Amino acid sequence: MTPLSPTDYDAIRLSLQVAVAATLLSLPFGFAVAYLVTFVKFRGKVLLEVFINMPLTLPPVVVGYFLLLLLGKHGWLGNLLNEAGIRLIFTLKAAVIASAIVGFPLLVRSLRICMEGIDPQLISASRTLGARWYDTLLSVILPLSVPGLTAGSSLMFARSLGEFGATIIVAGNIPGVTQTIPLAIYEYASSPTSENMALTLCLVSVAISIVVLFLHEMMAKKMAQRS
Amino acid sequence: MKNVIKITTTLVCLVLLATPVFAGDINLFVAASLKEVINELSDSFAKKNPGVKFVKNYGASGQLAKQIENGAPSDIFISANLEWMDYLKNKKLADVASIGTFTYNSLVFAGTPGKASSMQDLIKLERIAIGSPKSVPAGEYATEAFKKASLDKQLEKKLVMAKDVRECLMYVERGEVDGAFVYRTDALLAKQAKILFTVPQELYPRVTYPAALTIAGRKNKDAATFFTYLQGDEAKSVLAKYGFATR
Repeated sequence: MTPLSPTDYDAIRLSLQVAVAATLLSLPFGFAVAYLVTFVKFRGKVLLEVFINMPLTLPPVVVGYFLLLLLGKHGWLGNLLNEAGIRLIFTLKAAVIASAIVGFPLLVRSLRICMEGIDPQLISASRTLGARWYDTLLSVILPLSVPGLTAGSSLMFARSLGEFGATIIVAGNIPGVTQTIPLAIYEYASSPTSENMALTLCLVSVAISIVVLFLHEMMAKKMAQRS
Repeated sequence: MKNVIKITTTLVCLVLLATPVFAGDINLFVAASLKEVINELSDSFAKKNPGVKFVKNYGASGQLAKQIENGAPSDIFISANLEWMDYLKNKKLADVASIGTFTYNSLVFAGTPGKASSMQDLIKLERIAIGSPKSVPAGEYATEAFKKASLDKQLEKKLVMAKDVRECLMYVERGEVDGAFVYRTDALLAKQAKILFTVPQELYPRVTYPAALTIAGRKNKDAATFFTYLQGDEAKSVLAKYGFATR
């Protein structure tokens, strides 16, 4: 087995960085959307649900391409950002955004399932005791959603670690800057002479996945015991 | 249950039957930079020889070499450098007797006009696209040029690694990078980007495209005929039309 090169260590660090940032960034939005979908009645709810779940079924490359059209130098949002001096394409920020969008439905799903399981009587009780909707949200729904939050964010974290299709389009493939583990493996795997290097990095990837999924299961067990 | 098994078996059989290899097929594995040339040549060859069907696979030469090594059906391989042809030769996958030079090219820096005019100007740029040097010859030639010009350390973090030379060009055309190292012939196809400077020849070895029949292709009569056609005058004039040097 070939030892890891400095760019491989960079790739591992960048992957973790992207996954953590994407998950943290999505948490508040994911919580808000899951709350909306579960507890609020409004027109066009189905549309919102379809829209949110789209990245789950769309090929990630499509998500990446839309992002490129949107955030690229000639994209309408990219144009505005460019004038403000913000550059997203081919930076780590773009990788974070891509991962966040692709992993978002997983987070919302876990949270929603958890929120739907909350006893409605608890919510009604808090309302009859005079709590405003935000009081109920913070002191009843949020604490009871913690299992969903942890399960959802660990799934999303794992998904972000593996994000490839959207990332390679918007974040490019810059060793040491935006090259995450999957991109590095792809680069190794497309060359006949670096098969062993690809294998080493694949093993690292497997190890990280096992650790994350193991933690995910442990947390799920703990939550089940508590309730 | 019996029905389910029946249907599954039928489906599996259909899937397996879906990609039969026809006798009249010629499988081309060609460096991405030759796409237009080979498309034009194969179209005109197919017109003259009805019944012949081309299966074209364009990509980074290293990637193609790897696919051939792993058993992808291929009759003709044209690489954008000598390295990957030698690689297949050493693996005894290319017909040694057929190996010959198809054409030549040169490396340029293409981008938005005014961004750079020499290798030294590259340091001022933010993002530069090159083909991933592990598998894309254009990227390998470019990194060699950086090293010779002692710019490799300064440029390291600016390089966007594209999967082949055409992706480099796409990034420049969309304005996502300041410029890219591509072949002269690719830059000539660009609509927005212009050739900003030609990389001095003393910085990198001459871009040479070796072509060969693979071991499987040697037995394919149509492939052998097309291979001879590629060395003829018509091929030379098409190459010249797209800006390739034939000697």
